[in-house]
Amino acid sequence: MVGWLRELWRLNQRVGQWRAMRAVREALRVAYPFILVMAFVDVIGQGFLSKSGFFFQVYHVGSWLPGIDLWRQSLQAVSVVVNGLVAVMVAFTTGHYLAKIYRTEPLAVGMMSALAFLTLNVNYDALGQGGHGDTDANFLEVNLGPQGIFLAILVGLGVGWLASHLMRWLATWWLRHRQVTLSWTGRVAWTLTVVLGLTVAVGYGISWLVDGGINNLVYLALQTLNTNVGHQGLRILAVTAVSNCLWWLGLIGPIDVAGNSSVTSLQNLAYAVQHGSGWGAPYPVTLHTLSDAYANFGGAGMTLALLIAVWIGSRQASYRRVANQTFLPNLLNLNEPTLLGLPVLFNPILFIPFVMAPAVNIAIAWVAITWKLVPPIVYPVPRTTPGPLVAYLGTGGDWRALLLSSVCLVVSVLIYLPFVRLLNDEGSVDHAA
Amino acid sequence: MRHNWWRWGLVLIAILVVFIPSQLWLKQRITQYKSNYRTPLNPTIMVPGSSASQNRFDALITQLRKETKRTHSVLKVQVAENGRITYTGSIKRGDNQPFIVIAFENNRDGYQNINKQAKWLNLAFKDLVKTYRFNHFSMLGHSNGGLILSVFLEKYLAATPRVTPERLMTIATPYNMESDSTTKQTAILRELIKGRKRLPKKLTVYSVAGTENYSSDGTVPANSVNQGKYVFQNQVAHYTQITVTGDDTTHSDLPQNKQIVLLIRQFLLKETLPSKDRFPVTTQPQSRDASDADLP
Repeated sequence: MVGWLRELWRLNQRVGQWRAMRAVREALRVAYPFILVMAFVDVIGQGFLSKSGFFFQVYHVGSWLPGIDLWRQSLQAVSVVVNGLVAVMVAFTTGHYLAKIYRTEPLAVGMMSALAFLTLNVNYDALGQGGHGDTDANFLEVNLGPQGIFLAILVGLGVGWLASHLMRWLATWWLRHRQVTLSWTGRVAWTLTVVLGLTVAVGYGISWLVDGGINNLVYLALQTLNTNVGHQGLRILAVTAVSNCLWWLGLIGPIDVAGNSSVTSLQNLAYAVQHGSGWGAPYPVTLHTLSDAYANFGGAGMTLALLIAVWIGSRQASYRRVANQTFLPNLLNLNEPTLLGLPVLFNPILFIPFVMAPAVNIAIAWVAITWKLVPPIVYPVPRTTPGPLVAYLGTGGDWRALLLSSVCLVVSVLIYLPFVRLLNDEGSVDHAA
Repeated sequence: MRHNWWRWGLVLIAILVVFIPSQLWLKQRITQYKSNYRTPLNPTIMVPGSSASQNRFDALITQLRKETKRTHSVLKVQVAENGRITYTGSIKRGDNQPFIVIAFENNRDGYQNINKQAKWLNLAFKDLVKTYRFNHFSMLGHSNGGLILSVFLEKYLAATPRVTPERLMTIATPYNMESDSTTKQTAILRELIKGRKRLPKKLTVYSVAGTENYSSDGTVPANSVNQGKYVFQNQVAHYTQITVTGDDTTHSDLPQNKQIVLLIRQFLLKETLPSKDRFPVTTQPQSRDASDADLP
């Protein structure tokens, strides 16, 4: 066991030396405070002000807060701007840091990669439509938000590398053939032309193949995987594991298709309403009753358990700080700041518990439900319900479900703990905040 | 570490502040789901008039099936005088808008008989609810069938509290029996008016009359159909009277009258008809279908 952990540690060290990895971590570090602020905006917006928010419903916010629409709209405005452009920021910072490592023009390369990322997400379908009315947005806006982070990192790395090398090569070529130094403007302009030419070609080519840009290609594949899960425990386990792997890569979101309103959930609800409880519901084992109820505390990867493990076992000041800062958003299942801040994304050590903890929980929940120790969740719960309460509220207040939730939480903390302790040995390389 | 105690206190308070309100919310939410929940199964109960059997609506149903292009399975129920219930046909799996025709062995006319038939209807109804577990339904009554349904709604429905009637359409129902008078009330009308407060408040009622001439469809006087307003008006959510004239408007032809088939489709089955077939209503009767519990 110890030897195995040491191997993992060595891998982590080696990966940490990679230029690309350093750029990614730096990029996430810069993006973190922005995401943190946004997470708090979302806590208030989605949790307290939105009609489907948990605290909105529990505290009946609508009935006592004056001017609720005003609050909603102003928060939404902030949310649209920052949350909607997170990926663009990440593309910028990744390109910026990679250029810094290559010692070329960081700011120019950063902007290039942001622009390149945007060209990949232009709504090419809307361009040919002429100017009659507001037909479509110019950009595929969903791809610029958190779910575009993976693509942003890829583009940032690609453009950072390409632009840095191109600039250096151009400068030497110019010097050799023209016997004068190429001006700064010339270097940037020529490089930008090449980069944008490439990305526009790629983006346009893809728009011929599929609507919604590159991102949508990945998401479509995942959604078909997800929507057809059926109700076999093993497939649910596999789908959740795959989905969590993708979260770890920065492909955030596809699992959302599971939820309160799928057909099986509605049939379960119908049954519960007629019979008074979820015992004997027609679909006891679904993605919703297993994963949403017991394997999603804090969001994908049971990050709530990660935070508790950090509180218990971490000696890294930065980790503890991130844990404190992101606890509230995590309670409402908004874990993007934790993923980017710690960072969990692209962290080889945390990858294992990040995938394993939800998988183990699903297995536990599956056993408990098939052995009829707990009823499946049947009543819809808001997405922002604190993780450990989802099962309790979803079963209509069954204390056994609450007990199982606590068991799942404890098990997840125990799974995370050795890995968090392992990270204590990380040197003075400061990651976050 | 010496600050640990107040930290734990804070955690405890946080848990209570979240947990207790959510507990209250949960209770409230579940009752809300229970009261708002509507089963997918939404049958239409049809009751024929006097002297008619459970096969009375066959022509209508064939017509409806052809026009709506939906299967609409049919369950026919007959209640014997001793209360024994016999079923023919069945509700097909996956058919959420079946027709249930309820007829009576004793299908004679008259005040006493209609009251008995309402009681038998209730027997069959309770049995159906128990078997098929629907919690909302609509009704179609032809002639005295409308009277039987009205008596049933006033006297017996309250005994099955969690089932709500949505729409009732009566076709040529003589609320004042065969009397043509607008002032003299027969026993059944007096009884219906007396019990009108017990009618379901959210019910929507359509009373369709057919007329061969200015006063009658050949069997039932138009004035008698008109008396329905004294029963339903201001008691139920909506009460609409419609008069159909033209071909096939004799009393017994009415259920398969083309115009009335369209009215049934539009109002009772809530279909969206092409505008040429639609009955012009300035204020569309308020649909309660949309007001489902909002899912997060």
